[in-house]
Amino acid sequence: MLAFLLALVLVVPFVAPFDVVRAWGSRQAWLDNPRDAAPEWTELFAGKKLLRSMHLSPCHVPDAVPLSNVTLRERCPRGDWTKIAVRTTDFGNYTFITMRQKFYYDADVFPSEMSMSVWAAYGPNAPQVTVTWKRPDNVTVTLLQDVPEQRAPTPNFYPISISSTVKDEIRVWAITTYNATDVSLIRPEVTLFADAGPDMLDSRKATILEGEYTLEIEMIGSGIIGMDAKAIVFGTVFGIAGTDSNRRDLLVGLLWGAPVALAFGSAAAIVIVLLQTILGALATWFGGWWDEIVQRAADVLLILPLLPILLLIAIVYSPSIWWILAVLVGFGFVGSTTKVARSIVLQVKEEAYIEAAISYGASRTRILFKHIMPRLLPYTFALIALSVPAFIFLEASLSFLGLGDPLLPTWGSILGQAYNGNAAYRGFWWWIAFPAGGIVFATVAFALLGYSFDKVLNPRLREQ
Amino acid sequence: MGFGRYLAKKAVFLVITLLLALYLTVVIANFGGYVDDLLRAQARFDAVRGCNQVPACAQLPAEQRNATIEETYQAIVDARGLNQPFIVKSVQFTWDLLNFRLGRAIILKDVQGSDDVGAIILERLPRTILLFTSASLIAAALGIWLGLRMARKALSLMDRGLTIASITTTVVPPWVFGILFILVFAFGLGWFPEGNMVSAPVKTDPLEYALDVLYHMTLPALALILSSFGSWAYTTRNLVLQIMDEDYVYAARARGLPERTVLRRYVLRAASPPTVTSLALTVIASWQGAIITETVFSWPGLGRLFFEAIGALDAPVIIGLTAVYAYLLVVTVFLLDLIYGLLDPRVKALRRG
Repeated sequence: MLAFLLALVLVVPFVAPFDVVRAWGSRQAWLDNPRDAAPEWTELFAGKKLLRSMHLSPCHVPDAVPLSNVTLRERCPRGDWTKIAVRTTDFGNYTFITMRQKFYYDADVFPSEMSMSVWAAYGPNAPQVTVTWKRPDNVTVTLLQDVPEQRAPTPNFYPISISSTVKDEIRVWAITTYNATDVSLIRPEVTLFADAGPDMLDSRKATILEGEYTLEIEMIGSGIIGMDAKAIVFGTVFGIAGTDSNRRDLLVGLLWGAPVALAFGSAAAIVIVLLQTILGALATWFGGWWDEIVQRAADVLLILPLLPILLLIAIVYSPSIWWILAVLVGFGFVGSTTKVARSIVLQVKEEAYIEAAISYGASRTRILFKHIMPRLLPYTFALIALSVPAFIFLEASLSFLGLGDPLLPTWGSILGQAYNGNAAYRGFWWWIAFPAGGIVFATVAFALLGYSFDKVLNPRLREQ
Repeated sequence: MGFGRYLAKKAVFLVITLLLALYLTVVIANFGGYVDDLLRAQARFDAVRGCNQVPACAQLPAEQRNATIEETYQAIVDARGLNQPFIVKSVQFTWDLLNFRLGRAIILKDVQGSDDVGAIILERLPRTILLFTSASLIAAALGIWLGLRMARKALSLMDRGLTIASITTTVVPPWVFGILFILVFAFGLGWFPEGNMVSAPVKTDPLEYALDVLYHMTLPALALILSSFGSWAYTTRNLVLQIMDEDYVYAARARGLPERTVLRRYVLRAASPPTVTSLALTVIASWQGAIITETVFSWPGLGRLFFEAIGALDAPVIIGLTAVYAYLLVVTVFLLDLIYGLLDPRVKALRRG
């Protein structure tokens, strides 16, 4: 298990580069993903065909909008989706650009959302954009008509699912054409893919119309104009681990949670256990007042509640993960391990070889580091392995409460967001089960490692 | 050194430890005076706003208005005791704590609207004891029973399986189990409520009320038991195995005593002092509640109170909670020392020598 974790830590930076982590907190970076989507493999158990997001962007050229005066076919090698015509009407010369994208819809569920972006390039006068929707039953409906405000490269964003204009358009269309029963809350992405009939506005009763759909975008303007468009039919499943309510790919967060948890857990465990051991051994070996002070300090720090103090500091300063670590060390430089070290040193001190070392005149420091420390080492390793889980969970607890490092994706923070997003109530089990599973997996790996140390250290436990 | 002197020395050290811990808590919870700065800023804000809301004050010339504001501010600061330097205040606060005067909360209140920290804590304490102490005791009983069985059949398949199970469950804190339980048993299967202590509307019949609380308690208690029985089982197993290896146990066996008698009279008796120690410490620790477990299950106990107090930077409540816990801990440690000294002649002799 530990090997798997370590391998994961090494592989993660290649699978998901660090840029992704920096984008974790930004909403912009994840706009193309569906919201609250289950993992793709749940399809195996669902017994029906679930929907992966469909990106309808046959000719999306980044940073460049195809203009009407250049050959579009070169720019867009994938066929005849665009037509350009210049027609003379009663009002003058106009350029028409039409984009058409056909796609086949055969999922057994409705999409979760739909959105569209249109890039427009134009002269002094803004053109008009019309989006029409052609269904397999040869019915056409106009989704929206708009005069785009933004010039390329800024896209004009049309959230079809929540736009009230689109909703009104669809409501009127469904009621007048099919005598559909009106409901207060309609979902355009359902009605657009629903069988025509009285139930098509009601997202609970509507049934799916399978077949070939066409999305048509037409731009009319004067002079040289250019258009590019991208529509997304958001699916209900995504990737290996699904997405959260902020559309983030949970797999990225889960993968990056491993190195964060391991780095924090092992750094904290190593530093704190080593410090406590060394201080405990030093104080016990040199004895007297030092011993008393260190033991009292350990008692005092053991009484202080660590988690509340950390929470307090986190609320006031919202520190990065390394500051949390520093605070931990500050409150944990002596503690229970100091006491363990003390008892071992007291035991070792009486042994004959120490006496021998003293008798041939070795200095006290030399005896401590040459003869006593090596005896402490195995216990130190076991204690380190056994305390890693505690620190992993400490960090997870902080992030669960929203008080961890605000920038890093950690298992705890994903769990906390799931809890605050009512994931359990809304049935988004993947949002809870995977991060929780990650934490449990990592800590159990260390617990078993510590257990195997324990077996080596206490051979009596094996003999019986 | 006599036993009495030993105890006296121990007591002095414990009191010093307690004093230091309390003083540190006072300093930390107040952020070395930072909370006072916040309160002073709040007082100034209140004074300015208070003046602006009263036309008679707001329309005064600037100088007079500032003077009025300053006066109000000083009055608030004096009334809340914010004018003393923090060092003086912190010492005063610690002294009050030693006299069991927990002071008044800054923001939080109990159900009746009292801001007395003692009342706020006492209101929550029974709920936490109900859930955490009973869960800890059940976990301890279950763990010790399992540990004894494991020790008797050491290295059998059951022993190995249970050892692995204990070690793996014990590192996982209760709130992680809690979240998974809520997912599966509350929302997935719908067997148990997902949180809170009673259902709304609150049952009036006492029996129904008790059953309702019990029903709400089940999931959190299960999570707590699952995450803590393992350490009991594993420690008990190892302790018993170690004692079984002692010469006097072999001697007892060699004398032909029946296995039950050996176990009861020689092994369990030797194993009980450390077990009682950890039991006492566990019970004390359970009175603290658990911040995240209570948050996850929306259980209105002390852990929740702690978190609310931290969120509101309500220093007196934070200090009060820590102080109560510190008192209980120190008294328990001292009592345990006393009892062992009286009961166990070995300890007495050792200490004397």
